[in-house]
Amino acid sequence: MVQRFLDPTVLTSISSLELVAKTVVEGFVAGLHRSPNFGFSQEFAEYQAYSPGDDLRHIDWNVFARTERAYLKKYRGETNTLLTVLLDASNSMKYTSHAVTKMDYARYMAASLFYLTGVTQRDAAGLIVFDDELREYIRPSTRQGQLHRLLSALEHAEPRARTDYAKPIHHFQDFLRRRGFVVIISDFYDQPDTIVRTLEPLRFHGNEVILFHVLDPQEIQPKLNAPSTLVDMETQETMEVTPDYARTEYRAKMDAHLQALRDRAQGAGMDYYLMVTDRPLDDALREYLTMRQGRL
Amino acid sequence: MGFLAPWFLAGAAALGLPLYLHLLQRHQTTPRSFSSLMFFERRTQSSIKHRRLRYWLLLSLRLAVLLLLALAFANPFINRSAASMASDRLLLVVLDDSFSMRAGSRLADAKRDALSVLHARKPSERAQVMALGSQLAVLTQATQDAGELRSAVESIGPGDSRASFGELGRAIRAMAEGIATPIELDLFSDLQKSAMPASFAEMALPANVSLVLHDVSKDAVPNWTIESVDAPGQVWDPKKARVEAVVAGYHTPAATRTVSLAVNGKTVAMRTVALAANGRTSVEFQGLDVPYGFSRCEVRIDSADILPADDVSLFAVERSDPRRVLFVHEPSDSRSPLYFHAALDAGAEEAFAMDTIAVEQTTNANPSPYALVVISDVLSLPAPFEQQLQKYVQGGGSVLVAAGTSAAHRPRVPLFDERIVGPHYYSSEGERFLTVGASDPSYPFVDKAGRLEGIKFYFAVSVDPGNAQVISRLTDQTPLLLEKKMGEGRVLLLASGLDNLTNDFPLHPSFVPFVEQTARYLAGIENRSGARVVDSFLDLRTAKEQSVGVEVIDPDGRRPLSLKEAATTKTYQLSRAGFYQLRLANGRQDLVGVNPDRRESDLDVMPDDVLALWRGNANAAPEQALVAPSQPAQEQKKPDSLWWYAVLLLLIAAVAESVVSSHYLGTQREGP
Repeated sequence: MVQRFLDPTVLTSISSLELVAKTVVEGFVAGLHRSPNFGFSQEFAEYQAYSPGDDLRHIDWNVFARTERAYLKKYRGETNTLLTVLLDASNSMKYTSHAVTKMDYARYMAASLFYLTGVTQRDAAGLIVFDDELREYIRPSTRQGQLHRLLSALEHAEPRARTDYAKPIHHFQDFLRRRGFVVIISDFYDQPDTIVRTLEPLRFHGNEVILFHVLDPQEIQPKLNAPSTLVDMETQETMEVTPDYARTEYRAKMDAHLQALRDRAQGAGMDYYLMVTDRPLDDALREYLTMRQGRL
Repeated sequence: MGFLAPWFLAGAAALGLPLYLHLLQRHQTTPRSFSSLMFFERRTQSSIKHRRLRYWLLLSLRLAVLLLLALAFANPFINRSAASMASDRLLLVVLDDSFSMRAGSRLADAKRDALSVLHARKPSERAQVMALGSQLAVLTQATQDAGELRSAVESIGPGDSRASFGELGRAIRAMAEGIATPIELDLFSDLQKSAMPASFAEMALPANVSLVLHDVSKDAVPNWTIESVDAPGQVWDPKKARVEAVVAGYHTPAATRTVSLAVNGKTVAMRTVALAANGRTSVEFQGLDVPYGFSRCEVRIDSADILPADDVSLFAVERSDPRRVLFVHEPSDSRSPLYFHAALDAGAEEAFAMDTIAVEQTTNANPSPYALVVISDVLSLPAPFEQQLQKYVQGGGSVLVAAGTSAAHRPRVPLFDERIVGPHYYSSEGERFLTVGASDPSYPFVDKAGRLEGIKFYFAVSVDPGNAQVISRLTDQTPLLLEKKMGEGRVLLLASGLDNLTNDFPLHPSFVPFVEQTARYLAGIENRSGARVVDSFLDLRTAKEQSVGVEVIDPDGRRPLSLKEAATTKTYQLSRAGFYQLRLANGRQDLVGVNPDRRESDLDVMPDDVLALWRGNANAAPEQALVAPSQPAQEQKKPDSLWWYAVLLLLIAAVAESVVSSHYLGTQREGP
């Protein structure tokens, strides 16, 4: 049941992006078998024996009254993190070989992250939509209505133009004032070195950078039964290709590209995850939560 | 190789279409959007090359389909020599078994020659045997069985029909339409000139038939024959019967011949006639003393020629007593019995004997012995006699009623029992007289009497036709002749008199045939001839005589009709010469003498130029018109059509193209 609602194909039948995000997140949360340990309120963690020099305000006097021993009551730290999603809205994100385009998949993923952070964890979340320009910027905030603004921006983010990471990242650095999580959702059709070199400054500012590489199954393993003329969705370049090439050389090149991007990202301290649009969204959510848990 | 319709080869220009589509036209695939071509390389050249190689088979098949289609329409053929086609040809052996083949040893010679031709053929060659008379009789199917072919030839006996080369040509043309292979037609015949049709086109043969003529005649030989016999079919007074025969000679010198008349095998009269060279003369036998009933008669000539079968002419004669006619008239009317009796005697050849009686003497008269009763313009009939007449008609008798001026004031016509509308005295009116306006010529007494045209009617009684059938009307539409069926008999009404007061009919030439035919019609006596010609047809029954059995006994005493045929068949073809005994559907017995067509007696052969033309070798020398069986058509080139092969290949190529193209196109459809 949970998987059915997390299936991207099923999600396309839900028109409201908020409902999509709610369905994904609540379905994902319900599917976890342990109590979530990522509350935002102050939570008791453990008792620690008092040692001189410790702050007396943290002594649990009730325990002292019962045991006449001084224990410090330790709480899990309350940390509000900041999530910024960089969404690639170039034309190549329109591609699909089945019901869900890469852009839709990216929207669902971003919306689910926003819902998870904004509603469940009360974190500040912001959005940057870019192609070769910075098209939309919503400052990370926890204000009332922030979630709706983010989802609205996602809904209005239609793919166009081509991808250029340099200019939006440059502007983005101007907006960064606080450390946080930077999630980049893109198909990363560029040279891995160029991508990582462009994104490295984000990491230098102390951000945790996560690359969600969204690809269609046909982009990884294209299947052509006859010689075909392909049109680049970003450059409009046409090219006649053969099934043999798509079956052999293309796949080798794509695999090398994916491997290089993963290696270069991890080398730069970034997390990289390949998201194929026919797979459920919970992988992305789990990855994000795992990282947040580990880094905080 | 040639083409019967070479202009259709222009359709081969359509070959350019698949060439253009496959090779010249750049392959147009629907462009497909892809997110990025970053990892693709342009492989256009290899792609087109691959596609061309892949569609090479389809292109070849499409070119083949178009080329074969154009070829099929152009109807290609190759000229093959007859010798090269010998294994394919059909040997058609046709033997003439007409009456003239009885002359000398012609039929035996023809059969011997036919057997030798069949023996000389290759064992693999198919042959068929037929017999030619007035029809072409198929004796075997096309077969290689030498025994069957030999038996068929040996089974052919002398016939009595007249040969018809026109029928041969028609049958061979019909047969050749269904046979694509060459046909060698070997005709064994005396090639009688009289067997030629009126038009040479009727005996023309198709192009794939080569004619080989085997003439078994010995040129034109002298032959005398009884060309025709004019004899009555019925005789009432033997002394007055007359037989006239015509004796003819073909290619004969002047000679004296004896002609005899025989009745039931006994010669009753002989005449010696002198015949000029190639001449004909008539011989008359006065009186034909035959016994009552049917007699078999023949006229014979002592010809001593090679065709003795045509020296005799058969005919049958039936002798019977004259039919009695009762003529009833007013005592004051002496004209009508006079005219009627005179006409009956003149026209009916003693077939009728007329009794005249005044109307007041009919009280105790009995009409039943009479074949016909005539009531001529009587004022009234005695009631007992009228009742007798009604019984007589109901039982199958016939009455002729003439309604003259005596009937003018009566309300109804006696016996005919239809209302009299009123009299028409045309002589006192402006027209003075009327003539016949419309007549039904299907009645013999109307047809033979010239449709009663030119007769002036000064008086007529207008009778309401009622249930009667109007045969003739005057120009003012007054019914003149009416027929009414009453029970088994019939009554014929003439709405005018039989005297020359109410009309001038008795003085008119058509009165005699009218009286004679009316008497025959009403008495049920037909004009019969006791002689027929072979292959003529006998009417066995009328449309009203269905499911009544008939009987035919042929000259050999056999019954050729099966029980089913005897109950249903309407006509019978007289295929043999001799006497046929008949029992017709109306119960009447009959005897018919059947003679061969006398044109068979003229043994003159067809001219050489006609024979050469028939063989399709009009320019050949006359002595080459007739050639040996092994020589013909060896140097002759015959077009052998390749149309079937082209169509067969076209079908195969079309099916293969469909399979291949559906495979390719199906693959493309399945693609994303």
